[in-house]
Amino acid sequence: MPVAAVTGLGAVTALGPDVASLAAGLAEGRCAIGPLTLFEHGGRCRIAAEVPDLPASASRGLPPATARRLSRSDRLALAAAAEACRHAGLEPPERAGVAVYVGASVGGMHEAEAAWRRRRTGADHRWRLSRLVATPVAVSAAVVSQALGLFGPRATFSTACSSSALAVAEAAAAIGRGRMRVALALGTDGLCRLTYAGFDALQALDPAPCRPFAADRAGLSLGEGAGALVVEDLEHARARGARILALVLGAGIAADAHHPTAPHPEGAGALRALRAALDAAGVTPEAVDYVNAHGTGTRQNDAVEVGVLRTVLGTRLRRVPVSSTKSQLGHTLAAAGAIEAVVTVLALETGLLPPTVNLRTPEPAWGDVDFVPVPGRRQPLRIALSSSYGFGGHDVTLVLARAH
Amino acid sequence: MIVDVAVTGLGVVSALASGVAPFAEALRAGRSACGPPRRIEVPAGAHVAEVVALEARSVVRSAVGRRIDRTSLLALAAACLALDDAGLPHDAAGGPRGGLALSSAFGNLSETETFVERLLARGTGNPLVFPNLVLNAPLGYVSIELGVTGPSAMLNEQEASGEAAIQWGAQLVADGVVDVCLAGGADEVTAMLWRIHQETRTLAAGPPRPLDAAARGACPGEGAAVLVLEPLARARARGARVYARLVPDPGFAVAAPVHGWPRDAERIAAGLRARLAGVDAVVASASGAPALDALEAEALAYAAPGVPVTAPRGAIGDFGTAGALAVVVAALAVAGGFVPPTPGCRTPRHPGLDVVRSTARERPVRAALVTGLARGGIVRPVRLEEA
Repeated sequence: MPVAAVTGLGAVTALGPDVASLAAGLAEGRCAIGPLTLFEHGGRCRIAAEVPDLPASASRGLPPATARRLSRSDRLALAAAAEACRHAGLEPPERAGVAVYVGASVGGMHEAEAAWRRRRTGADHRWRLSRLVATPVAVSAAVVSQALGLFGPRATFSTACSSSALAVAEAAAAIGRGRMRVALALGTDGLCRLTYAGFDALQALDPAPCRPFAADRAGLSLGEGAGALVVEDLEHARARGARILALVLGAGIAADAHHPTAPHPEGAGALRALRAALDAAGVTPEAVDYVNAHGTGTRQNDAVEVGVLRTVLGTRLRRVPVSSTKSQLGHTLAAAGAIEAVVTVLALETGLLPPTVNLRTPEPAWGDVDFVPVPGRRQPLRIALSSSYGFGGHDVTLVLARAH
Repeated sequence: MIVDVAVTGLGVVSALASGVAPFAEALRAGRSACGPPRRIEVPAGAHVAEVVALEARSVVRSAVGRRIDRTSLLALAAACLALDDAGLPHDAAGGPRGGLALSSAFGNLSETETFVERLLARGTGNPLVFPNLVLNAPLGYVSIELGVTGPSAMLNEQEASGEAAIQWGAQLVADGVVDVCLAGGADEVTAMLWRIHQETRTLAAGPPRPLDAAARGACPGEGAAVLVLEPLARARARGARVYARLVPDPGFAVAAPVHGWPRDAERIAAGLRARLAGVDAVVASASGAPALDALEAEALAYAAPGVPVTAPRGAIGDFGTAGALAVVVAALAVAGGFVPPTPGCRTPRHPGLDVVRSTARERPVRAALVTGLARGGIVRPVRLEEA
């Protein structure tokens, strides 16, 4: 697949409202998982990686009545998207033809839950459309498109935790195959009671901040946020003098066809996605310098993922740093793929490896793997992978490369 | 290299009829499935388009499939029917050269409602139900049941969800990434969804009347449609029946209120004009909802004056993936040479619009266009041409 350039980044995470605060938090090895304050929850887990202050300026460009109805996911999306467009230097006249590919899984569920409660308790005597219009997951794409004037093709993908990795893959494919010149790939998901209570009921949440790859890992920590990347035709980017931050060399998409929640025990889909991505990129396993793992911190995921990496990288795995950004930002579900792609681009650009935090004792069988202990370290990188696995066995791997 | 995309199988599970031949016959006869409730508990005078007969046992094969939700089951049943119709075994989309593109506007509504009711009442979630609530549950179940391990995606585009998924699947075939792709969508209707429509005053008082001057609202419905898409050359080589050639199209967006319909019909018309060239039938998105119908009627009057228009949501009900069934309608029009009537439309709301009413128009259809309009300014057209 021909390469596509990354020319802009945006992120709103529990580490802060922009890419600069994300980069600083990553470099400090700060864990942003703290008390859950957004809603009450009576289950066994009470922590999350919440975005503390949603940027108020995010709804600029929208009529006040529309701005009032934006969901948490919409606000996160818009702030990240606006930052990425600014970063890429995309001025309004250049924006009209830009495609928007979004990964999202909860949409306005947080707001729908509030409306539902009002209707149940009689605070609202009837359902009100104004409280429900933000519910569908496709709304965030409409918000970003209309507020920023991006009127190219638009699509919203929802494959659970791999949704926005798929959005990045779609953007790279559209650019690489010459269908589009510029695309915005975005992932967004706000916290909501439904997902929090659901994961807790499945006993998938660690009551303490998650510890990916640790011997005593006990589940994931939920988070929220949005990540955005401007993906652009290389020549187009050069011609307009844009700074090229990294390249998307290829992507692989595959399915387990195994179980609604559990990964395939040998990671069949994850393995196929990884191999397909390397094939598409024309990259051999020997060339891989860093892996930004899916790394949720659940017993099953981490075991399957290390197994897949060992199968593909063989003995070289010892020399390839592998880290989990979810140890700092929690699992941001549909936003994770895009946020982790942003993190991977930052690592390629700065040569600063983000660490796996909360990891005191790695799983003994993986003693040979370098999970990048705190505080991370500086190491020049050329090619990096970012993997995302979703419920239902929908797996995506991206191959990214340093620009120069 | 761009590969020509053939539609070789149609799978329909609809309130109107299930299976492509009964569906075509009901369309041609101008029947409507919008009628009194038979399954969901809503007032007897309500209008709704429900799929009544749907048996999991007849389609689910795997052990994990026993927990399948209704929306996923609708999608799976349609996928199996599509493969049967294409003369392919149920594992034909297995292996790395098979793809799957599905969509749903609201996903598994019935179990989401049960889950959230318990959550709001007792503060806890039900672990048995939660895995079925992810929007991509249909994608997971269909991939498991049919062994699809290649590229797959779940798309959501509000009213144009079905069209969006079909176009994503068509692009995989056109790019030469897969040799066979199942593409379509499914949505279910529940009593709560009906009540939300009623309380937010978006329902028609009686049967829906798409594109009619007296249209006052839509009729909530449900159903699923899945297409089998293959490279045209491969379809020909295996002697498959080809319904039509599908033109891959990423669609476009126009300025619009984020939560509503675009106000500028001319912009929609400008975007559709080239896609309407040589078209003998338009399959409209109109549902009987006044804002959508007015927009679409005006846009089509600008861009396709004199072209026969049919609006299947008068027959199948209105839901986010009704567009997948609209693509089936277009494929049947091209393959069968007929434009079905629009149930409920007596006096078209726009004088420049040739809405097919009462009886089907029997005539060769060289090309047909599904408009694919959705809230928020997104347009996902699907053009089908004679192969």
